[in-house]
Amino acid sequence: MIRARGDMPRSRAMAGAVTLAVRLPRLSREGAQAVGGALAALVLWELAARGLAGSYLLAGPVDVARYLQANSGLMGRALAITLENAALGFVAGNLAAVALALVVVLIPRSQPVVAGFALVVFCLPLVATGPILRVLYGPGPGPQITLAALAVYYTTFIPLMVGLRAAPASWFDLMRVYGRGAWTAFVQVRVMAALPYLLAGLQIAAPAAFLGAMVGEFTGAERGMGVLALRAMRGLDVEATWALATVAAVVAMLAYGALGWVARALAPARPEVLLAPPPATALSGRAGRALRGAGVAALTLVLMLALWWGVMEAFGLSRFFAKRPDDLWAFLVSAPTAAENRAILWEASAQTLTYVLPGYLAGLGLGAVLAMVLVLAPGLAGAVLPVAVALRSVPIVTTAPLIVLALGRGAAGTITIVAVMIFFPALVACLQGLRQAPGQVLDVMATYGAGRLTRLIHARLPAMLPAFFAAARMSVPAAVLAVTVAEWLATGTGLGNLMALTASTSNYNLLWSAVVLVALGSAAGYALVGAVERRVLARVAPEQLR
Amino acid sequence: MTRFQISRRHLMGMGLSGLGAWTLGMGPRAAFAQTDVALQLSWLHSVQFAGSYIADERGFWADRGLNVRLDSGGPNAPVEPPVVSGTALVGISAADYTAAAVQQGAPFKIIAVAMQNNPFAITSLPDNPVNSPADLEGKRIGMATANTPVLRTLATLNDVDFDAITIIPTQYDAAPLIAGEVDCLLTWSTDIPVSMYVRGIDPTVMLMADFGYTLHSQTYIATEDSIANRRADLVALIAGEVQGWEEYRRDLEAATDLTLARFPDAGLDRDTQLEQARRQVPLMFSDLTDEHGFGWWTDETVAQNIETLDLLGMPVSADLWDRSILEEVHG
Repeated sequence: MIRARGDMPRSRAMAGAVTLAVRLPRLSREGAQAVGGALAALVLWELAARGLAGSYLLAGPVDVARYLQANSGLMGRALAITLENAALGFVAGNLAAVALALVVVLIPRSQPVVAGFALVVFCLPLVATGPILRVLYGPGPGPQITLAALAVYYTTFIPLMVGLRAAPASWFDLMRVYGRGAWTAFVQVRVMAALPYLLAGLQIAAPAAFLGAMVGEFTGAERGMGVLALRAMRGLDVEATWALATVAAVVAMLAYGALGWVARALAPARPEVLLAPPPATALSGRAGRALRGAGVAALTLVLMLALWWGVMEAFGLSRFFAKRPDDLWAFLVSAPTAAENRAILWEASAQTLTYVLPGYLAGLGLGAVLAMVLVLAPGLAGAVLPVAVALRSVPIVTTAPLIVLALGRGAAGTITIVAVMIFFPALVACLQGLRQAPGQVLDVMATYGAGRLTRLIHARLPAMLPAFFAAARMSVPAAVLAVTVAEWLATGTGLGNLMALTASTSNYNLLWSAVVLVALGSAAGYALVGAVERRVLARVAPEQLR
Repeated sequence: MTRFQISRRHLMGMGLSGLGAWTLGMGPRAAFAQTDVALQLSWLHSVQFAGSYIADERGFWADRGLNVRLDSGGPNAPVEPPVVSGTALVGISAADYTAAAVQQGAPFKIIAVAMQNNPFAITSLPDNPVNSPADLEGKRIGMATANTPVLRTLATLNDVDFDAITIIPTQYDAAPLIAGEVDCLLTWSTDIPVSMYVRGIDPTVMLMADFGYTLHSQTYIATEDSIANRRADLVALIAGEVQGWEEYRRDLEAATDLTLARFPDAGLDRDTQLEQARRQVPLMFSDLTDEHGFGWWTDETVAQNIETLDLLGMPVSADLWDRSILEEVHG
């Protein structure tokens, strides 16, 4: 569902770009102003659709409403199924995230291995895991639920891990003064401190779960929103396509709003002071840390290989499609065609890198800058956030053609798709972080007459950095995921395309090699961000490094 | 985990067929010895597999002691792994996909052929038509780059200058053609052209099978192990398919209505489905099948397939095809 390089008139392309930003009605929060904004958005959307009439690319709100009215039963049933699978995946994925985070906090030594493990599993590309899950589960909703769970657990795990540590040292001192033990400290301090972070994670997870469930339906489901979307796109049914996109976006926005409400209701008290002295043990020597890092990486690698091999043997998966590590060793190293195979992989990886790096940086930057703008001008939040949620939650398969129409089939389109997928988690995390700025510090600065900008730079920004880096880390796999999906569904280049081709070539050696490459590449990117983070946080948020 | 759930319809069907068998004095075998098997389809449920739905609904399989589960396909649901792993007894593949899988070590045989003629077609608009491969020279064609060998093979078979064709990578979508960004698309003759036709844009469709591109499609594949050890089930399954597709040909409207009734939540449109049902008839039925029966092939057609596969870069031998199941069905 993608268009070729456009020779559309520029004005039309611009109209396409504008619609992207305002395509959806906003949820009104601030009365008449919001309603007016929503109406303007609807009018613009309708005008853009009329401008593109006959191109089978965009349906306006009038057509969408008409379609929804005429097919309410069909859409309702599809929505119920996909929503149920997404909800089950959401619960399962988040429970897994909480369990992992608790393990890490209660047994701090396990952190590098658990985090590495969680990362690698999150990096497994949908294109590859979908069919394997289908073979494991047989028919039914298993793959949809699992893919929804896989899409959310990591974006909850990382903020939660940050949150469980984001407790002021003075609170622990207080616990000790009162003679309370570790358990009370954990429940009364850590869990309470973690709640806002957990809820921020859940907010990000809601649209991701819905997308995961929809993509899961591509593996051979009989019913659901994903099935209808496929049918609509193949059938040139542009009204159905955009009706589905609208419903998906509205569902995601409602889920986001509901979780925001829960967050406000549940976590009124925030930890006030996050200033802590640098930990005395942090300086155990660079060489020692490097050595330990290598050890941890090796341990994680061995565990992953054991799990990979073990699962395949335990389920008795055929070597035809379930390649073991030794199959890949032969394919990439010892076989006569190994050099050729490696060359194919390198070429695709290079293509993917040229998209993923700029998209990643642009998405993160955009998220951080927008968060700062919203802190400086809080009135905008009501208008900007729903649009941001909508952008993130409209299925990428329907927005991709419009992005390509506006920006062309080349690098710009794919980079934009990656940036759109990244910027929303970054925005939410940064907003969360900016609001964590210690109240006393802000008060002192206000007393001295410091303006909003000064307070932002000197108090809020340092407070934002832990959350920003958490977002930067979890955006590494998200960016890789986005780029491979875009390559699979839109551009037909790079690793995403290479993996999708397996369906016709049965070259599962190539598929698994690509999976390993994607996972290792993401882990390396993650480690790189982690190294930068360590240096920065040592100055601004040493409590995170404990 | 229960993989085989028996629906009420199946239970009733089993009960009725058992009753029928009993009154005819054939014994209760059909009612009590149902074997559960699965058929892995190659795409989402639609009239593309209507023959299978007929076989199921009218008890063509139940009569033969088989309870067949029809597993939906999809864009991320390859056919070959479930067949290799035994989740499905039979899968619906295509000769080139099967050849590639066999090259990668899968023990497959083609045991029946639903589409005698390959459905690949060049779709263009009537005011700038592609009526023959020669018309492709100088044109921009929208297609997935993965299909480049297909186009190259067509060019070779018809002495067309391949380098004179501009390939523009697009997804499987008619919009670039309608917007004039490409002159033609590489499609199946039974889906994108049908969507366009139903929306009032009647495209020019050049079937590649009419220009030497001979390649079996919608082929039934099974593992060598199943062919050796589960013969009776395979024969029963293919026999039901043959009977279902013959019924399909007899009444396309009924086949379409059955598909729509069976999958009310699949978002199927009757006009589109009926037109697709019409357009796949000439792909599935020919003088060959009229003479020998649905699914058949001869040494001659296999030789032509091998030639096409060779041009596609997939050398295979005639061993890829195993007609013994069909011979039992039609024999």
